[in-house]
Amino acid sequence: MNAMIKYFVAIVALTAALNVSAAADLEVNTPGINAIKQSMQTRHAQLAPYYDSGAVGLTADGMIALRDAGAVPLAQRQAVNALVAAENGDRSALYAEIAKANGHPEWQAEIRSTFAQRWIQRAQPKWWVQSGGGWKQK
Amino acid sequence: MGLPLLFAVCAAGTAQLSLSVADIAAPDFSARGIALVLPENGSADLRIAELHVQQRSLRNVHIHCASFALSTASMSCHGGSMAQLTGVALEVIYGFDTGNWQVSAALRDAPAKQFAAFLPEPIPLPSGGELSGMLRIGGGASGLTALDADVRMIDVGFSDGDGLHAAEKLRGTIKFAATRKAALWKWRGDVAWQSGELFWQPLYLRGGHKMAASGSLDDTSLSIEQATIVLPEAGRVQLVALWDMKRGALAECTARGENLALEKLFADYARPFLDKGALAESNLYGHADVDWQYRNGATQALRLVLRDAGIADAEQRFALLGVNGDIGWLADAPRTANIAFAGGALLGVPLGSGQWAVRMHGMEFGVAQGVLPVLDGELELRDFRLYREGVAWRWQFAASLSQVSMEQFSQAAGWPKMLGTLAGSIPRVGYDGGEISVDGTLRFDVFDGTVAATQLKLADPFGRAPRLSGNLNMRNLDLDLLTRTFSFGNMQGRIDVDVNNLELQNWQPARFDARLSSSAGNYPKKISQTAVQNISALGGAGAVAAIQRSYLRFFENFGYDRIGWSCMLHNGVCAMGGLDNGEGGAYAIVKGGGIPAITVMGYNRSVSWGELITRLKRVTQGNMQAVVK
Repeated sequence: MNAMIKYFVAIVALTAALNVSAAADLEVNTPGINAIKQSMQTRHAQLAPYYDSGAVGLTADGMIALRDAGAVPLAQRQAVNALVAAENGDRSALYAEIAKANGHPEWQAEIRSTFAQRWIQRAQPKWWVQSGGGWKQK
Repeated sequence: MGLPLLFAVCAAGTAQLSLSVADIAAPDFSARGIALVLPENGSADLRIAELHVQQRSLRNVHIHCASFALSTASMSCHGGSMAQLTGVALEVIYGFDTGNWQVSAALRDAPAKQFAAFLPEPIPLPSGGELSGMLRIGGGASGLTALDADVRMIDVGFSDGDGLHAAEKLRGTIKFAATRKAALWKWRGDVAWQSGELFWQPLYLRGGHKMAASGSLDDTSLSIEQATIVLPEAGRVQLVALWDMKRGALAECTARGENLALEKLFADYARPFLDKGALAESNLYGHADVDWQYRNGATQALRLVLRDAGIADAEQRFALLGVNGDIGWLADAPRTANIAFAGGALLGVPLGSGQWAVRMHGMEFGVAQGVLPVLDGELELRDFRLYREGVAWRWQFAASLSQVSMEQFSQAAGWPKMLGTLAGSIPRVGYDGGEISVDGTLRFDVFDGTVAATQLKLADPFGRAPRLSGNLNMRNLDLDLLTRTFSFGNMQGRIDVDVNNLELQNWQPARFDARLSSSAGNYPKKISQTAVQNISALGGAGAVAAIQRSYLRFFENFGYDRIGWSCMLHNGVCAMGGLDNGEGGAYAIVKGGGIPAITVMGYNRSVSWGELITRLKRVTQGNMQAVVK
């Protein structure tokens, strides 16, 4: 629950911080964006243990990846794969929707890369993040 | 593999002979720095400084032969052991004249992990457990001609680098035999997997599987001439297949299974391949005989005999149970299947039994006329068509709904208890792969009045944020039924409600122009004190107090002349109005009439939608007040 609250705070802080640094309004709200954020927040509770165990890490391109399948029992591996795929689907959709809501679909790559930096900056200690092509633990 | 046979006598000591052997080079195999030492006791020690097998290399390989025989005709090593391989006894025979050779290995609790060094990199490598049994390979000058294995696995595990193909604690036996004549291999295999778990993305399987198969292999294709696969708790499948090696694709396949348990079959072998979606979140039930014929890159025929089969989604949105039928589908000929079902549910509403004749012609399925019992009424479906265009499935149908008790319907759907009957007609509903749209007017009878929905469209229906748009026009709704349903305090009379330009995003109102007004005509008009209090309490405690202070508190019911209220929702703000503009921006919501009469005024013309909903729910605060006349 604590991790959940931190995550909410991170999202709010993230969008607020980004709002200052980029020309795009990253706080822009549409029902579509809300639905994606809600879906990501719901999923976060399921993903958090895998961030903690190092099975899943944050990539440099604003996505997440299964970096150590060995840390996941065989019976759960497909479920984790599905979670990672669904999360990445949501993240892509979020960047596209924010760009679209700003009336500049071509800003998607920039928005994604800004998000990527901040996701990594705000990752919790001991989570794995991608940097310089390799994985390192925060 | 040509063995090497430039021997050079290097040293002849008193009791042993040492030979240095030339380097060996063959595809997939090479050895350098080979030295053979032959002590007088008949044993032999072979040392290889560098050995390459497949893409693997080993250094300082030492093979000891307890009994070594060398003649001009042949060389043999019995009771061989290798420092790198514990629990493995090797036998090697090589005939110089024939060029035939055979290597066999007797395994006795041999750690599986040590074989990793001999396996090519891309395949998953053993990580634990033991192997017992026999491995034998043999060949001649033309290469490998025979392969035999009879191995028992004890708690064997393996994994590839990214962990997507891995197993743990595998127990079972593998028997395999293959022989080659010219370019054709004939093979036979038998696998009995007793316990342990396997993850082969995306499949996760547990022990209990058995397979016996035989077939052939040449440069162009792998043929499974017959295979019997036992799927635990699901049934037995017979398979014949041809795999095109050049194209890397299935060329032909016939698969048959009798009385397969659909729940386990779907959960273990089909669902992992499905993306997120209604089917991926569903369970199947019952049993089926399956006969699948695949040829030329497509399914040619599929016969399904369903026995008490069923499907239900995990979220309990839909279910169809007790399905029986003999479906003989052909890719290139029209067929009809009679499918009977015992019942089901849609969004919590129970459906009764029925029998439909489904016409099938390739990827087009149709039902000319079908009846689906819904509670105490029925939905009559006409001209249902499901077909595929490109990769997208499309469907359409027309239907009419007759006399469903609203009371039963609302209870089943988990709504407030509503009275009256639900009946209506659905002219044509179609899904074009992206959007569900209704042509014409969707008409329902509710609350003794009518609801007409026009220009209904649902975009992105299975996506993250479905968008519904359309117009709702309700006429002559009975206020008595309506207020009783929503516990608002009794009102009598009739109202018309128009909700035009409605747009819901993710089922939340994003925009609409709504207007509520008394219907035309003569009918009793009464509003109870509770209803007045509730309406006015939307506007604050003062209004309630106004009634309480006056003599009106002695009356249970009041008369009224007209009711009117409007809300234009835009950007989360509802711009409100009433019957008239009133004074100072105030507007009348209920205009009094008769004796005793009461008028309810509203003063706030703009309210956030979220707040209005909260107020409606709590019926507490706001800016309205009852004006007692």
